[in-house]
Order: sequence, then structure tokens, then C-alpha cells
Amino acid sequence: MCCGGQRLRGTSLGLKVIHEAEVQAIQNGEHQLFLLTSPDNVKAFQGGGFYPLVTLDNRATLMENTPVGIQRYCRKLRTHRQDQAANVGAIVMNANPFTSGHRYLIEQAAKACDWLHIFVVEEDLSAFSFQERFAMVQAGSCHLPTVTVHPGSRYIISRGTFPGYFLKEKQIINEVYSAIDLIMFRRYIAPALNIRQRFVGTEPFCKVTAQYNCAMHYWLEDKMILPDAMIKVNEITRVTDENNLPISASAVRTALKRKDIDAVKRMVPATTLPFLARWLSHHTSTEPEYDLANV
Amino acid sequence: MKIVKAAIAGTLESSDLVVKVSPGEEGLDITISSEVFKQFGEQIAAVVKETLAALNVTQGEIIIEDKGALDCVIRARLQAAILRGAERTDIVWEKL
Repeated sequence: MCCGGQRLRGTSLGLKVIHEAEVQAIQNGEHQLFLLTSPDNVKAFQGGGFYPLVTLDNRATLMENTPVGIQRYCRKLRTHRQDQAANVGAIVMNANPFTSGHRYLIEQAAKACDWLHIFVVEEDLSAFSFQERFAMVQAGSCHLPTVTVHPGSRYIISRGTFPGYFLKEKQIINEVYSAIDLIMFRRYIAPALNIRQRFVGTEPFCKVTAQYNCAMHYWLEDKMILPDAMIKVNEITRVTDENNLPISASAVRTALKRKDIDAVKRMVPATTLPFLARWLSHHTSTEPEYDLANV
Repeated sequence: MKIVKAAIAGTLESSDLVVKVSPGEEGLDITISSEVFKQFGEQIAAVVKETLAALNVTQGEIIIEDKGALDCVIRARLQAAILRGAERTDIVWEKL
């Protein structure tokens, strides 16, 4: 019935399509590409210059368009390796914005291990830009001597490894994605820095994050499913404000939108306030927020 | 010549190759994948290095996806990718 299929067979049309997509992407300034496909198609895409990163048996394979991308990132990470530290921990955070809750989590985690690596989600899809969030985390953790703050790269909770996190408004939640993101962490990121533990705050609000935390126990701790060394997952109970409400970045954003500065001040450390003041002056039309700017 | 942005040249057709270049801080980082790597890997690497030297490229990430191209094709595709990545129009033809 489909004569086109017969006519085009053997003309390597698939390769042409892959290549054309890549050329278009470069013209748009995107030269690092991820590709999520069925494990059956891996061979075909390998012919087109894509290399497998992780495979979730019978379900999905994440590939990237370079044979050395993840190795390069891990090589860069290894320069921050703390070899004298036996018990190394990690936290991945978006910090949108950085709250007293984040600070508490970092302090608890730093206490529980010899060295703590913090990865700030690099994808710029949040209210606060990556630059702002990274600076807030640095400012909020510089009182701790055994902490390194890293850019999360496109290998940790990016649109490539975990698009569901950014699609949560539409409630498109996919356990495949969280599995792929976590296998990436266990297989590549953790060994580069000798990370043995991961710390996370309990999640009472966001469904996607709660499901991700749950998946974390399975994909990082289980000894049977993956050959890579296991990583212990520690959930730390969220800190609450004076009214016994759990502090969260989304609560801070809501308070910011309401311009409820007192509520904001109750939920963020002093190091975050200058960033919020700048953010408010950019995001509210005319009058700058002197109340915060003077803190 | 300095690579200042990511660029691509070539196709994935048989007897051709794709060259991807991007800026890098620490020297040259060359990665070659070839369907005929066992037979011609060393020769491909030699042509790539020689071409980069002729263009005076000392920094950057170079990825080669070779589909069995001849040396002259490798040279041409690599030159094209570098010139695109270096955003240069003042080409010294005799050097190529």
C-alpha cells in the first residue's frame, strides 16, 4: 500500500532527518541535544551520531549527540573531589528562591557528612534566573566550610533528563523521566565526586517533587536494580515557621506576589533578601520595594 | 584561529562525515567515531591534527562522525566547520 516506503528504502532517509534536525538546532543556538527513544531504536540513532546515556529496561533510552558530553562534565566535577572526606553527601535544589528551609536542609546535611556538594538546577524556567538562584545558594551556604556549590548542568533535572518537573502545571508526570534522571545521578555524577548520600526535604506540597523523592529511594538505594554503588537517601523533615506551616519556595513566591513582605521575611534568610528586593523592583511596575532594599 | 561558537559541517551520507566544533578552554579535545576506525583511525586522526595545525586552532572541542570519508573530504569538512565556528570570513586560501 505504501509505495513511498518501498521507494525510499535504502536512501538513509532516517539519517537525513536526524542530521537536518541537528543542523536546525545549531542554527537556533542549541548544539547539545538529548534524545529520548525506545531502546529498540538505539542502533538507528547511533548511526546518526547519538550516544546512549542510560537505559530503562524495555521502556526508554536517553541519548545525547556527543560521545563525550557526560564524561567531560564528570571530568570537570572530579576537580572538586574531596578525597580526604570519607562520607560525601549531595543535595539537588532549584532554590526558587532560597528559603530558610533550604538553609536548614543544607546545615543538617553538612552536619551529617564530611563534605556536601550542592547542585543548583541550571534550567532557566523558574521565576528566578539560574544566576540569581546560584548566587542565593552560595550566599546562604558560605558560612559552612565543607560545602561546594555546583551548577546542576543539563545532566541533573534539566528539560533533557527530567522534563516532568517543568511540566507539572499540566500535570504531565512521568515516572520514566525521574528514573532516568536518578540513574544518571547514580551512574555518572555520584561516582565523579564519591557521593554516598543524598539529602532531600520532605515534600508536603508539590506532587511531582513528592513522587521524585519516592522514586529516589528506589533508584538510588536499591542494590539489585543497578550495578552502580548505592546512595543512601535521607529525607529531612521540613522546617516550619512560627505558625507551624512548612516553609517552601512556592509559599515565598505567593507572599512576594501579594507583596506580603513580613511573611517573606519569616521564610527566607537575610542573605536572600537583597535578591528578592532586586527581583521585586524588576517585576513590579514603578515603585521599588524600599522596605526590603534597606534590610 | 579561535572557535567562538558551536558549528557543524558535513552530512551522515556514506563516504562523508559530520564535524562538530565548539569552544573549549583547555587545549584541543578531539573525539573521532568512525565506521572504519579499526582500519583508518590513525590516518583520520593524523589528517584532523594536520588540518587543525594548518588553521592554527589550538583550543576547542572537535567531534568527528565519520562514514568512511576520503582524506580530502575530511579536510574540507573540518575546514568548513572551523571557519563557521570561528566566524571568520578573511580566509587565507593558500593555507588551506
